[in-house]
Amino acid sequence: MSVIVLLIVAGGAVAAGFLAAFVWAVRSGQFDDTCTPAIRMLLEDGGRRLKPGEESQREIEIEVEMSAEPRRCL
Amino acid sequence: MVAASSVASTADQRTLCRHCADECGAGAVVSATGSFCCRGCESVFTILTSLGLDAFYALDESAGVSQRHASGFDSARFAILDDPAVRSRLITFDDGRLTRVTFSIPTIHCASCVWLLEQLWRFEPGVVRAEVDLLRRVLHVEFRPGLTTLRRVAEAIASLGYEPAITAEEGRVSQPPAVRRLYLQLGVAGFAFGNIMLFSIPRYANGGPLEGGFQRLFDVLNVLLAIPVLLFSASDYFRIAWRAVRTRVMALEVPLALGLAVLFGRSIVDITTSRSEGFMDSFAGLVFFLLIGRLFQQKAFDRIAFDRTFRSFLPLSVQAEREGGPTVVPIEQLRCGDRIRVRPREVVPADATLLDEAGIVDYAFITGEQVPVAVEGGETVRAGGRVVGRALRLRVQREVSHSQLASLWTNQVFATPKARWLTDVGARFAGWFTFGAIALAAAGALAWWPDAAMGANVATAVLIIACPCALSLAAPVTLGTAMGLLGTRGLYLKHPAVALDLSRVDTVAFDKTGTLTGSNEDEAVEPHGLTAGALRLVQWLAAESVHPTSRAIAAGIGSFVRTGAELHGSSPMLPPHITDVREDVGRGITGIVDGCRVAIGTASFVAAQSDRRVLGPADVTFAAAGTEWGWIRVSPAARAGIERATRLLAAAHELCLISGDHDGERPRWQRLFGRRMHFRQTPDGKLSFIRTAQARGRRVLMVGDGLNDAGALAAADVGMAVTDGTACMTPACDAVISGQRLADLPAFLAYARRAKHVVIACFAVSLIYNAAGLTLALAGALTPLAAAILMPVSSLTVVGLSAGAMRWSATRMLPV
Repeated sequence: MSVIVLLIVAGGAVAAGFLAAFVWAVRSGQFDDTCTPAIRMLLEDGGRRLKPGEESQREIEIEVEMSAEPRRCL
Repeated sequence: MVAASSVASTADQRTLCRHCADECGAGAVVSATGSFCCRGCESVFTILTSLGLDAFYALDESAGVSQRHASGFDSARFAILDDPAVRSRLITFDDGRLTRVTFSIPTIHCASCVWLLEQLWRFEPGVVRAEVDLLRRVLHVEFRPGLTTLRRVAEAIASLGYEPAITAEEGRVSQPPAVRRLYLQLGVAGFAFGNIMLFSIPRYANGGPLEGGFQRLFDVLNVLLAIPVLLFSASDYFRIAWRAVRTRVMALEVPLALGLAVLFGRSIVDITTSRSEGFMDSFAGLVFFLLIGRLFQQKAFDRIAFDRTFRSFLPLSVQAEREGGPTVVPIEQLRCGDRIRVRPREVVPADATLLDEAGIVDYAFITGEQVPVAVEGGETVRAGGRVVGRALRLRVQREVSHSQLASLWTNQVFATPKARWLTDVGARFAGWFTFGAIALAAAGALAWWPDAAMGANVATAVLIIACPCALSLAAPVTLGTAMGLLGTRGLYLKHPAVALDLSRVDTVAFDKTGTLTGSNEDEAVEPHGLTAGALRLVQWLAAESVHPTSRAIAAGIGSFVRTGAELHGSSPMLPPHITDVREDVGRGITGIVDGCRVAIGTASFVAAQSDRRVLGPADVTFAAAGTEWGWIRVSPAARAGIERATRLLAAAHELCLISGDHDGERPRWQRLFGRRMHFRQTPDGKLSFIRTAQARGRRVLMVGDGLNDAGALAAADVGMAVTDGTACMTPACDAVISGQRLADLPAFLAYARRAKHVVIACFAVSLIYNAAGLTLALAGALTPLAAAILMPVSSLTVVGLSAGAMRWSATRMLPV
């Protein structure tokens, strides 16, 4: 039966580890803004610096693939 | 002349600005790349395309922020950011190598804004990182102080069309959100709840105490896990309850805290006496669900900064002329006698005397007068007025804190917090609920007399089951959900409880300028006594002026003349020949158009210029062209859908109009408001109007926008501020509604009434659960297992019912 005691200790340690991770995440501000990161991950790092003399065109391959209606959370 | 012809040609078709997708009206700019509503939009578009950042427009066609109202790019504007005192307000971190600042940018509104602003390093070398918080509309920037300066970063942001709001109000943006503590409490409660469940289920499954010392071990572990829940997660409930008891203002937290305390105490006693396994699982679960309810409520907050005073309306600094040339001075340091220069579209920070010969000041925001006022040299310009046309030189009369504008804020009404119906009714309900629970517990104990052990058992069981957990979830979850859903549709509430107050209003008072009528961009022009030919001459001359009324006349007559010309089958227009243009600031403009002498302006001006008497209403612009004369009334157009909205509202509400403007527009609003119209109201007049209505027993919703409404907004049962675009200046109010959404007000009010019904339904459901639990408790049959099932189930029912009902109603009742 002592194996159960071992399991309780191990399980408790794992759970406490997750709790500590959660506390760290909250303290470091990861829960301050739960909206913008959801948008940011859908955006490419699009845009590039043009060389001098290069024409700027609207038709540069637009890499961002998003639905027509952008996500808003306001 | 060029301006006149381009106005005429672009007004023909409804062209949309390539940058901000606004309609290109008067003053449109057509270039090789497309049409723009103004020069500002064109320059932002050029900057973006030259950097290959076209993807900005791919995300959202209307992504751009219109530059039509921008104060124009002026390098001196951010000079104040070189001032160490001002810098320290914005900077959140600085170690000499890296500086972190937080800008509040009210114009952030979509995914494209996020994307563009986070590319800031492309525009300003030295910027290391830029991060947008879309909900709070702030931008965090990290930069290397060696490579750039705070001022240059601000200028780079402004050049993209996102004007950072740097106002005289202090330290508002950089505070860490209060929601962190709530998340931690929730995390701890959830952790304890889950683990306590693990240790409790074996016993429930076993049907009796476990053997081999395991029961003792599990019980001890449960107690250890429950202690942080009691001391940390539930601490706010105990604190609020204690304060309520001390101040004798009842709150629902009192029976809640009582129930939690009894639950914990009884469990400890049961465990130590080995009578049962205790109720620790119910205890942790209860706290966990309660905190989820709080999170619902909290989630809806933080979107808009509501608590603003007149200071946030004033600029941070002003250009002063002191010994040694012009300097930028923070407005707090302005002294009587200082000479200042205020540029067009800027706000005058203090009551001051005009040093120039004449100028135009727009007081729409502080008095509600819609027509800008002409001021002559030596006259006083009041703080809060917006300069129109050209820059003014002024001498400060009174320091900023002593201006008339500031004195608006000394009224008592701003100092006393508003009574919310929910707190009110909640307090009364909590009072008799607590009393009832204690009485029932005592009765239960007496009924088992003389069995003292059983009596204590029943009494504590009653207090445990009476703990109004589901009840206290009903209002926050319902109203919090409603608040969030209303927020996505352009109505932002200050607090979830405002939704209940909204459901109870029976009188709606509207302000006129800026509320029923839109911004000054769309104006209705009604000419009187001028033929189409003369009107065309007037239009051409008006297009030469920068005065807002002239511009409105130029744009408005454009459509008027064209329809007239089409009716009469006249020949198409030829470009006019305009000479001798002379503008007398604040009075009028004269010129010779196609050989015909034209004058536009005040009655006396036009009379003097055209040598004849002109007569007409007081609030119109006169015009003379050749032998003809007449007048033109320029009035901001009513917002789209307002008429329908007011008619819908009138079915169940008393409507009235209280305006600071003169009553020239009385006939226009007669149809909608009948006799309930009050013009020429001072801010105090508006306030006392609301007070009078309340004294009659009416519950008033005040809808207004300007500072002159601030008192009325604060006094009303619900004060709703209307904001146009995103540059929201919201005086003391309970809710902010976006101007385009004002027409949906009837739907919003109906939704608020629905929210009230859902709260009542949830109350009923949770009372049924309580009653069921109480019968068990009184019979002495409340086992830990029964409590562990009953309590979460009742909480979940209420959360599911309220959130679900509000979401379902939103899709049915609210416009998208």
